[in-house]
Amino acid sequence: MSNFSMTRRSFGAMAAGAAAGMALRPAAAQTPGVTFMSFTYAEEPNKPHVQKLLDGYASKGGAVEPIGSAWGDMQKNILLRQRSKTLPTTAQLSERWLPSMAQLPEIVNLDEAIGRAKLESMIDPKVLAMGQAGGKTFGLPLITGSVGMVANKEVLAKAGVEVPTTLAEFRKALEVIRDKVPNSVPFAAATKNPNSIPLDFMIMVWAHGGRIIDESGKVLVNSDAAKAALGFMADLMKNRLMAPELDRPDSRRLFGQGAAGFYIDPPQARGFARSFSGRGEAADAFVLPVKTPVLKAGDASKSIQWGHLIVAFKGPNTASADAPGIKWLNYLLSDEAQGSFPTALSALPVTKTAQALPVVKNDAFFTAWNEASGTPLVNEIGVWSNAPELSTILSEEVQAAILGQKPADAAIVSMASRMEASMAKRQN
Amino acid sequence: MTSVAAVPVAETFPLSPHAERGGLKARERRVGWLFLAPALTAFALVILYPFLRALGLAFTRSDLQTPEPIFIGFDNFRTIFASPEILGSFVTTFIYVAAVTIGTVILGLAWALILNQPFRGQTTLRALSLIPWVLPSTVTAFVWGWIFNSRFGVLNAVLVSAGAIPFPTAWLSTPTGAMVAIVITKVWFSIPLFMSFFLAGLQGLDRDQIDAARVDGANNWNVLKDHILPHLKPVLLVVIVLGVIGNLQHFDTIYALTGGGPVRATSVLSIEVYRRAFDQWDIGMASAVGLLWVATILPAAYFYLRHLLKGA
Repeated sequence: MSNFSMTRRSFGAMAAGAAAGMALRPAAAQTPGVTFMSFTYAEEPNKPHVQKLLDGYASKGGAVEPIGSAWGDMQKNILLRQRSKTLPTTAQLSERWLPSMAQLPEIVNLDEAIGRAKLESMIDPKVLAMGQAGGKTFGLPLITGSVGMVANKEVLAKAGVEVPTTLAEFRKALEVIRDKVPNSVPFAAATKNPNSIPLDFMIMVWAHGGRIIDESGKVLVNSDAAKAALGFMADLMKNRLMAPELDRPDSRRLFGQGAAGFYIDPPQARGFARSFSGRGEAADAFVLPVKTPVLKAGDASKSIQWGHLIVAFKGPNTASADAPGIKWLNYLLSDEAQGSFPTALSALPVTKTAQALPVVKNDAFFTAWNEASGTPLVNEIGVWSNAPELSTILSEEVQAAILGQKPADAAIVSMASRMEASMAKRQN
Repeated sequence: MTSVAAVPVAETFPLSPHAERGGLKARERRVGWLFLAPALTAFALVILYPFLRALGLAFTRSDLQTPEPIFIGFDNFRTIFASPEILGSFVTTFIYVAAVTIGTVILGLAWALILNQPFRGQTTLRALSLIPWVLPSTVTAFVWGWIFNSRFGVLNAVLVSAGAIPFPTAWLSTPTGAMVAIVITKVWFSIPLFMSFFLAGLQGLDRDQIDAARVDGANNWNVLKDHILPHLKPVLLVVIVLGVIGNLQHFDTIYALTGGGPVRATSVLSIEVYRRAFDQWDIGMASAVGLLWVATILPAAYFYLRHLLKGA
C-alpha cells in the first residue's frame, strides 16, 4: 500500500497547474485555420463542385474549412460575424453585395494582398471591375457571366411558339403557353424576394428604354419608360402570365420541371435545370439562352453583369502574401481551379487563360449565352452602398403594382421619391 | 404580572468565533444572492446588456455606411413618426394581435367547454388537442404555407375541384389573404395552450351550481354568461394578457409564411425590426422601432405583473 499524502497547499498547486495546462493546451492547438463561407456550398446540387475545389486545394497541401450559408442569409451572417468578431477568413459574395460589404473595416484590399498588377494581368478589366469599389479591389472574381433570359425549348415546342424578339411577341408567346401548357407559369419572374425582384425589373425597364439610377447617383426611375415597364409586368400578372410568390429558386424548379416557359437567371440556369429536371446533362437540350425581348425590333437586347466574388477578412491568415488565406485565393485563380469549377456551375471562368481553355471555348451553351447576352450592363442598384435599402424600396413598389395594390404610375412615383430620400441620406 | 429581567447577552453568551457576520438573516441574504447570481448574470448578459445597447443605438445612425454609430438624438424617432410605412406596422400589429387574441380566446374556450363534457374518448381527444402546440412553429408555418400555396396548395386543390374557383388563387399575395393566413396559423397553434388554461379553470367550477341554474330554466348561453365566465374571469384575464404579450412578440410563423408581405401587408413590428436590421442593415432605426415595440408590450406586461403580485 502506498503511503501517499497531500497537503491542502500542494493539492491547490496541483489543481492550479492542471488548470493552467488545460488552458494552455487548446491555445496551442487552436491556431485558427482558413475558413471559406460559401452559399454555393449550401446549395445541394452545387455542394460537390465546391468540395472538389477544396479537395484540389488539399492535394496541394492547403486546408480550407467550408462553412455553408444560404444565399439569402449570406450578408446577414457576415455582418453578424463581424459584430461578434468571428468573421471567416474568406467568403463568397454576389457581385452586387460588394459595395455594401466593402464598407467593413475588416475587408482585405486585394491590390495589396495579391497585387494589382498580377490581378490585371490575369483577369479581364471588365471582370475585375466587378470586385472593385472606390478604386480598390476587395473582391476576387471567382465566376462570371451575365443575368439574361432562358427559355425552355420543350415548353415552347409544346405550345408551338417561336422565340420572341419584341415585348409584344413575348406577351403573345406567354399567352399561348398559358393556354396550351396547363399548370405552367409562362414567365417565371421573381415576384417575392427583395433580393431577386430588382434584376427582373431592371431588365424590363431597360427593355422599355428607361433607367433606374445613373452613374452619378441621380434617380431616373420616374419616367414614362419605367411606368410602361411596370405596367407591362402588372398586366402579365393580371393575365396569369406571371405568378405571385415566386423567388428565383422556385423559378429554377418550375423551369427544370417543364412548368415555366421563360425566366431570368445567370448561366447557372443550365446547372439548376440539370439538377431539378432529374435528367442530368440530358437537360441541356431544353435550356435555351435567348435575347431579352426588346421594345422595337432592332433594339439592343439587355443583360446585367453578374458574377461571384471571394472576399478576405483581416486576420493572421491574411496578414501577408504568404499567409494561408491569400494562398487559397491564389489557388482559386489557378488554371486547375478556373478550368473546372466555373464550368461545373455552368458559369464562365474569370482568368484569361481559363477562358481560352477548350472546355470553355467549345461549349455551345456558353457560346449561345454570350451571343444572347450581348454587352452586359452594370447593375444600377447593386453598385451603391445603400443597395439593400434601394432593393427593398424597389421590390415593395414593384410588388404593390404587380399585385394590384397600386397603379403602376403611382408605384413608380413613390419608388422614385423613396429612392431619392435614400440616396440623399447616403450622400450625407 | 411577571417582570422580565434584562439579560446581558454579550457578557452572558459570548458570540462563537464561527458565528456569521451580521447574523443568520444576513447569511441567508448572502446565500440568496449567491443562488440568484447565475440567473442574474444570464439576465444581464442576454437581456439587460442587449436592451441597454439597443437603447443607446436607437439614438444613433448605425448602418453599413457608418463604421461607428453616430449620435443623432431623436432623428430616428422623427423618421418613424413621419414614415407612413413604419406607422403602418403599428396598425398591422394592432390588427394581428387583436384578431389572434380574440380568435384564440373564443376558440380555446369553446374547445375547453367541449373537452370538459364527459364523453367516450375525452382523454384521447384532450391529448391529441395538444399536437398543434407541440409542433415546432416553423413546421406549423410550412404546413399552413403548403395549405395556402398558390400552385400546389390543398385549399386551392379542394376549391378548384369543387368548382368554387375557376383557377388557383394566390392567397398569400393579397393583403387580406396573407393577414388571414397568419392569423389562422397562430390561432391554430395557440388554441391548445389557451384551452389548457380554461380547462384547468373549469375543473373548479361547481357542478351543482350549474345543475341548479338549469333547473331554474337557464339555457346554455345563460349558464356561460352568468356562471362559467364569472368563474373563469381570473383565468381569462391572465390568458388575455399573456396572449397579447405573446402575439405582440410573435415573429417566426409570420416570417416563414409571408416574410411580412405582400409588400408590407403583414409587416408587424417584429418583422419590421428584423427587416430594418437584417435586410437594410439600419441597426439604429431597427433599435428605435424595437424600443417603441417594447413600449407597446409594457402596458400588457404591467397588468400581468400587477395581477401576479396581487395574487402573491
